[in-house]
Amino acid sequence: MIELQNVSRLYRSDEIETTALHNINLTIRQGEFVAIMGPSGCGKSTLLNTLGTIDRPTSGAYLFNGVDLAKLSEAKLAQHRARHLGFIFQSFNLVDDLTIYENIELGLLYRQGQKGSRRQAIETAMDRVGIAHRARHFPHQLSGGQQQRAAIARAIVGNPDLILADEPTGNLDTENGAQVMDILKGLNASGATIIMVTHSPSHADQASRRVDILDGQLVASVAQML
Amino acid sequence: MLRSVLIAFWRSFTRHPLYGGLNLLGLSLGIAVFIALSLLVRFETGYESWSPERAKIYTVGTRYFFPGMTDEVRIGAMGGLTEELKASYPQLVTVRDWSNPVTVHKGSDVYAEQIELVDPEFLSFFGVPMREGDAASALNDPGSVVISEEKARKYFGTADAVGKTLTLSDAEGRKPYVVSAVIRDLPKNADLKLGLMRRITPQRTAMETSTWHHWGSVQLMAFLKFKEPAEARALQAQMDAFTDRQVGDTFGPGTKGSSLMKLVLVPLADMHLIDPKQKAAIVTLGLVGVVALGLALINYVNLATARAGLRAREVAVRKTLGARPSALRLQFLGEALLTLLVAFIVGLSLVELTLPLINAAGGLSLSLDYVKDGAWLAGLLGVVLLAGLVAALYPAFALSAFKPAQVLASSRTPAGGRLGMRLREGLVILQFAAVVMAFTLMLGFIKQIEHIQSADLGFKRDGLLLVNSIRDVNINAAQREGFQAAVRALPNVTAVTIANAIPGDQSNVNNSNIVLPGQRDKLTESPTVNWSVVGPGYFELIGIQLVAGRYFDPRFAEDQIWEENESEADAKKLTNVIVSRLTVQRLGLKSPQAAVGQTARFADHTVRIVGVVEDARFYHPSEPIPAKLYMFDAHVSYNPVGFVRYAGVSESVMRERLRKAWRQIAPDVPFEVTSAYENLDKYYKPERDRSNLFGVGAGVAALIGCIGLYGMAAFNTSRRAREIGLRKVLGASRSQVVRLLTLQFLRPVLIASVIAWPLAWLALGQWLSQFDDAIGISPLFFLIATAAALAIALGTVGGLALSSASTEPGKALRHQ
Repeated sequence: MIELQNVSRLYRSDEIETTALHNINLTIRQGEFVAIMGPSGCGKSTLLNTLGTIDRPTSGAYLFNGVDLAKLSEAKLAQHRARHLGFIFQSFNLVDDLTIYENIELGLLYRQGQKGSRRQAIETAMDRVGIAHRARHFPHQLSGGQQQRAAIARAIVGNPDLILADEPTGNLDTENGAQVMDILKGLNASGATIIMVTHSPSHADQASRRVDILDGQLVASVAQML
Repeated sequence: MLRSVLIAFWRSFTRHPLYGGLNLLGLSLGIAVFIALSLLVRFETGYESWSPERAKIYTVGTRYFFPGMTDEVRIGAMGGLTEELKASYPQLVTVRDWSNPVTVHKGSDVYAEQIELVDPEFLSFFGVPMREGDAASALNDPGSVVISEEKARKYFGTADAVGKTLTLSDAEGRKPYVVSAVIRDLPKNADLKLGLMRRITPQRTAMETSTWHHWGSVQLMAFLKFKEPAEARALQAQMDAFTDRQVGDTFGPGTKGSSLMKLVLVPLADMHLIDPKQKAAIVTLGLVGVVALGLALINYVNLATARAGLRAREVAVRKTLGARPSALRLQFLGEALLTLLVAFIVGLSLVELTLPLINAAGGLSLSLDYVKDGAWLAGLLGVVLLAGLVAALYPAFALSAFKPAQVLASSRTPAGGRLGMRLREGLVILQFAAVVMAFTLMLGFIKQIEHIQSADLGFKRDGLLLVNSIRDVNINAAQREGFQAAVRALPNVTAVTIANAIPGDQSNVNNSNIVLPGQRDKLTESPTVNWSVVGPGYFELIGIQLVAGRYFDPRFAEDQIWEENESEADAKKLTNVIVSRLTVQRLGLKSPQAAVGQTARFADHTVRIVGVVEDARFYHPSEPIPAKLYMFDAHVSYNPVGFVRYAGVSESVMRERLRKAWRQIAPDVPFEVTSAYENLDKYYKPERDRSNLFGVGAGVAALIGCIGLYGMAAFNTSRRAREIGLRKVLGASRSQVVRLLTLQFLRPVLIASVIAWPLAWLALGQWLSQFDDAIGISPLFFLIATAAALAIALGTVGGLALSSASTEPGKALRHQ
């Protein structure tokens, strides 16, 4: 499904050049649950952003179902994200001024062709993460765990092919973290491909494969027995 | 998309009431000023729009080139001009409007009115809106009168007045006239006042033999109608030759008519604002409206870009979820459009609510009619939306350009970068430059208007009443003398006389040239003097000081002006005159003392100067004081006005006493009295009104500036909350923090002043240059304006800074 070939990402400022990713080669198959681990600043998030097409590789190829995304225009990439990807962030990134329902709706807003079944899709997504009773609330009125569940609902409302989660449990306590992991595993079991960046070894252990990054390089890719 | 726009718009009020409120208030105020001043401009440029023929009609104006006189276009023509024009150009279509005083009799009551003596084609020429009667024939019969609905209601209690009789007395005596038609009342923006109309009769023109075909004189307004503007231009091109032909040698052998006067065809649409000063004033007020709208839009851009930082995360999330930049731009432009639309409605309501106040402040009669003005309002809305969308482009592009990966990676909210900050500071500077400039101009306006209202005019304007009824055609010499005697006997009256040198009254102005012996007698070279006839004790009464020689004295036979129908022998006699200081100067005489005893040729007579008096400013403060020549008549009969000086009693009591005295003398002639103050005030009032309007505009502009500044400061302090907490943890005192936050906003005000001062200096200088009697520009105007702007900025930002500086540092550090 996904193939990264020699992907590098450099950041240049006036004086310094930083290599965030260096010659990454990685293949991810449909239905995998991949956990990416590594110390702070090693390039995990850059890798995830690159996979999510909100960051472009400086060199190398990014094939998604055989299409090289590195060559697509901004508009085409936006379309690609809307159609194929779901995002979950550490700090939830819900829009403050929109209700939970409207936040989840954002996940459908920029898809072309989806009109009639919006309400039903949103309600289904809310039910799956158990947040339906908070539909009319604003994000700041919810606990961290509820906010993250709402964010997950937003990510899955459009049934994406790939869910990208950037430390989804990083801002949550143990109990809420466990709940979120259960939801992700459930999604994976029902067929979703998930790539998750995490600091937590116990959460990483629940994935089907673990990828370790160090100083922008892929140092290990280990399939795990569940 | 539409739903997203609506939600974002609605939430901006429910979730950020301060931001939403400031944004809407600023925009609405700016739009309100823009609408109100657009209304004013439309009103002022829409004079005579009631006439469907307006675009085809031209009126005749004249430019005079007499030494010592200004050469602007004066609307008006010699009574017989159209007759002479038609003799040369038979294809011309012309009418005349000759406004005359008339007395309307209703039972034993008498009313002073103006009646328009017009050519019989007048109504159809202009397409005057008729209520009843036939426009083509209503004025054919000399015994007919055409009246407006308003006059019909006044004199008959109903607008259905056709067939009824109105008794009028004027120069042709007292006669009944049959109402042959009633016209619709014209709108307020009409210079033609068509209350009463009848046709010009040969009997009436016969009374004007000395002036009707006297080139250089002006009695009435003449109008010409052309199918195409090219025809008007063609006639204009021939006007000088025509003038030269018609004038012949009247202005002296070898003096071409066109060298002294040029006839100008003025489009009817331009007639009202023919005075460049008037036009400039209206243009200025129109510009104030545009500037107010500009300031409001600047606010919008400022607040929107400041808030962009807060919306960066939303933009990043939307982009991550697949929103294209173009879709986001569309969303933000949509939000702007909706905000502008609501602000326009609020602004329009503000105008509607405050229109009576605006009318009172500006001496105006503006009105809004949503049915009739619908298209115009839609046009205005279009302008506002277009300007607003152009302004909203920057925030829309800035917002949609955020890079999602960067924004989501950072815990800080971006501020729109250095460019955004620079832009916002630049815009605040621009706003305050406008505010400082407006304040400076305001101070200059106020000082100048104060000055012209209290300046020494060379005579005493207080305690002086002018009885205009004395010049009514039906008042005879015995009545004039009788009234003077009666008034002299009234308590509190200190002096009474009759004269036609009248402060604030230019209805009858006479200019002739004066030539010293040995000088060339040529109209284009000899000094022009404005001459008047005064009665006994005039100078003492009005308070014009003697500089040299003596005042008039009835005991000297030579002081008395010549008779109108004098014998040839009498015409050779010497007549004594008094001249003003300026006349002495124009004549090139060494001193006022040297002028006394000097003889000169004046109006085909030999005159001797027996006294020199100070110059007196009788007319508009923008007009140069004319060189003056006074002649004496023990019984002034030419355009005579009664002068009454009184003391120790209120004006209203004095007016009432005069009214009673008048009733005894001439019950058939309406009593009309004005004070010198009132007469002069008509020159000051337009300046005062415009200054008031400008003040309202400037005040609202300042308010918009404050709103913008407050919004900026609020966002800034909230953005810097963590920084402030940190500074306090590191030991910064409250006052240091306040200083930090306020100084940041004082800098733009000071820079704004540096920009505004030279501009204000230029603009004020330009405005003052139109006054002959102008104040000097004081540096205090600039300093006070800047101080006021600083105080406003401090007051706006200071409170916020204080509350921010008082927040506990722990709380501030937790702030996200």
